[in-house]
Amino acid sequence: MRDTCDAVVIGSGHNGLALGAYLARSGMEVVVLERRHEEGGGLCTEELTLPGFLHNVHANYHTFVDLAPPQADLDLADHGLEYVRPEVQMASIFDDGTALTVHTDLDKTCASIARFSEQDAETFRRLYTEAHGYVNLLLGTLMYQPPMSMKELTRALSVFGVEERSEFLSVKLRRETIDTFLDLHFTHPKVKAHLAFHGAVCGYANDVPGLAMSFPLLVGKIDNWRLCVGGSHRLAHVLWRDLAQHGGVLISDAEVARIAVDGGRAVGVVLADGTQISARRLVVSTIDVEQTFLRLLPDGSVPAELTSAVQSDLLHQPWSLFSVHLAMSEPPRYAAAAFDPDVDRAWVVNLGYASTEELDADWRAVRSGRLPGVCRPNAAVNTLFDPSDAPEGGFTGLLRQIAPYAVGDGGPSAWDEMGHWYGRRCIEAWRRFAPNVGDGTILDWTPYTPADITRKLPNMVRGDWMMGEVSLANMLDRRPLPALAQYRTPVEGLYLAGSTQHPHGFITFAPAYNALQVIADDLGLEAWWRDV
Amino acid sequence: MPDIYTTEWYDAVRSAINVGVSQLRSLPEGRFVVAVEIVADGRSPYVGEGARRFLMEIADGSCLWYRELQPGESEKAHVEGRIDYRFLGPATVFDEIAAGLVDPVDAALRGAITVRGDMRLLLRHAEHVKSLLEAYTNAVSTTWPLGRPPYAAVTSGSEGAVARA
Repeated sequence: MRDTCDAVVIGSGHNGLALGAYLARSGMEVVVLERRHEEGGGLCTEELTLPGFLHNVHANYHTFVDLAPPQADLDLADHGLEYVRPEVQMASIFDDGTALTVHTDLDKTCASIARFSEQDAETFRRLYTEAHGYVNLLLGTLMYQPPMSMKELTRALSVFGVEERSEFLSVKLRRETIDTFLDLHFTHPKVKAHLAFHGAVCGYANDVPGLAMSFPLLVGKIDNWRLCVGGSHRLAHVLWRDLAQHGGVLISDAEVARIAVDGGRAVGVVLADGTQISARRLVVSTIDVEQTFLRLLPDGSVPAELTSAVQSDLLHQPWSLFSVHLAMSEPPRYAAAAFDPDVDRAWVVNLGYASTEELDADWRAVRSGRLPGVCRPNAAVNTLFDPSDAPEGGFTGLLRQIAPYAVGDGGPSAWDEMGHWYGRRCIEAWRRFAPNVGDGTILDWTPYTPADITRKLPNMVRGDWMMGEVSLANMLDRRPLPALAQYRTPVEGLYLAGSTQHPHGFITFAPAYNALQVIADDLGLEAWWRDV
Repeated sequence: MPDIYTTEWYDAVRSAINVGVSQLRSLPEGRFVVAVEIVADGRSPYVGEGARRFLMEIADGSCLWYRELQPGESEKAHVEGRIDYRFLGPATVFDEIAAGLVDPVDAALRGAITVRGDMRLLLRHAEHVKSLLEAYTNAVSTTWPLGRPPYAAVTSGSEGAVARA
């Protein structure tokens, strides 16, 4: 094992691996440390049910692969990374047998919306067209740059007169919910429900004030949902390959016990087995802020007020996800195909939310530790688009339901008793819309609860798969705390580059890319990578 | 009045920029190199094939120099280090901006022009950027010896030329 290097990266999720690869390509000796037996973090793909059925345990939807700089900078396609962009991206199926579908073809999406409201179809076309024009520019500005303040951002939008040029962008959105935005521009409850559902799958709850600011950007990427061929873990594997080809080393089963600090500077790490690894130039943590500051750093390394803020001020998503992974002998055949045959070809399917009010009620329930009144999971069958993820004739299924991390007074461990019961409820909910889903077609299934999320990946604190609340209070230069928002820490040479940082979780690579800019400035690295 | 894309025109644009920024109270400190790539789109008579490429250096808000690169000429011949900003788009859009027919912010918002670089700085100095854009758009009286935009109807593949660039 290498005992001295230039850079130690703690955590081998997509951000840790990508940053490690960038630093290795910049000529540094890099060691990436992983607590688990394999690299990838949330990119894990496992045979959770039967041999040969590959289930994406956490990250399933990759919506930024075309914009994320590592794709080109790290030659990921040359390393074997491949994506599928399903033609029918999403569907909402409603109790009355109707359905709405979102396609990669805008005309088809508008035609589907027009079956509910021609006015909404025209509004959607204008919103999509407008947002599609600026989405890459604004995402490049907002996502792939160290964060500005909301004040700076809104001032610039004002100077450039963006509000006068746009039907949908407004400075007022920074105070409004997605529900308000939808009520302002759309009329049909099912159309609004589908658009709110899309936001929810992205981690943006439709009843949280301020998230309307991001909604036009979400719509600009509404047809950009992509599936990693071979499973999400393939992305982790190609990142590791790039790291290795440039001299970087990944060490698995290497739990970090302590960050070594000398004279106020991070100088390496000590592993749980006592192994010491010295870092000549920097240490990067891509795990959660709590572990980094409360467990790994020696007492007194940072000001007491920062320690106190880490203990009390961090904001986590007050909701989590309950999943069911299934091995199936046939894909679902939806009754709603009689209304719209394309639902059988849709990737991400909303099973039943027909109004924003239904979603709002479930957010309220989940935030107060209760299960949603009616089970309305979303469903995806990846094998329809990537046959390599199941044995011939087989299909993988994924159900996801918003759910509390701690259930009632039982806390997170209540899930250990409830997981199979609630999993059956989710499957029954699926069967309501796809009658062929049942004992005859389900070969095996397993629940994956909010408690399992944190057990498997402790950096997803309290089942928080976004590694920090998505809200105005935890956005831009306030995420995860104002003192830590620019990827630096009070400990010289210690940086943060995980999904705790701006912008948030999801497979954006933005925390790693933005931390790289800061590290390059601090260490005088020559920037060979492309600008966004 | 200078002809578009001539040395005289570049000098006039540079002067207009510097007059504009002299009115501003807050200017970005330091030196920035801006590259502009105007890609042939089959419509503009001023960019027949490939692209016209320009470089400009801004120092403490003022334009020090502004020059066109010859085909095949490397940016590195004029710039040490990194290009700070890159603007890329089809020739017709840039021509229409120079003619005052298209607003450059609108063009960027609808994705007709790609902007790359440190967007934080660009937003923090929005007044300065706006002043630069106004100088390019409205401040120079320009002659158009090969015809003035708007040009004739779109020929097929014009957008694709930029997408592939």
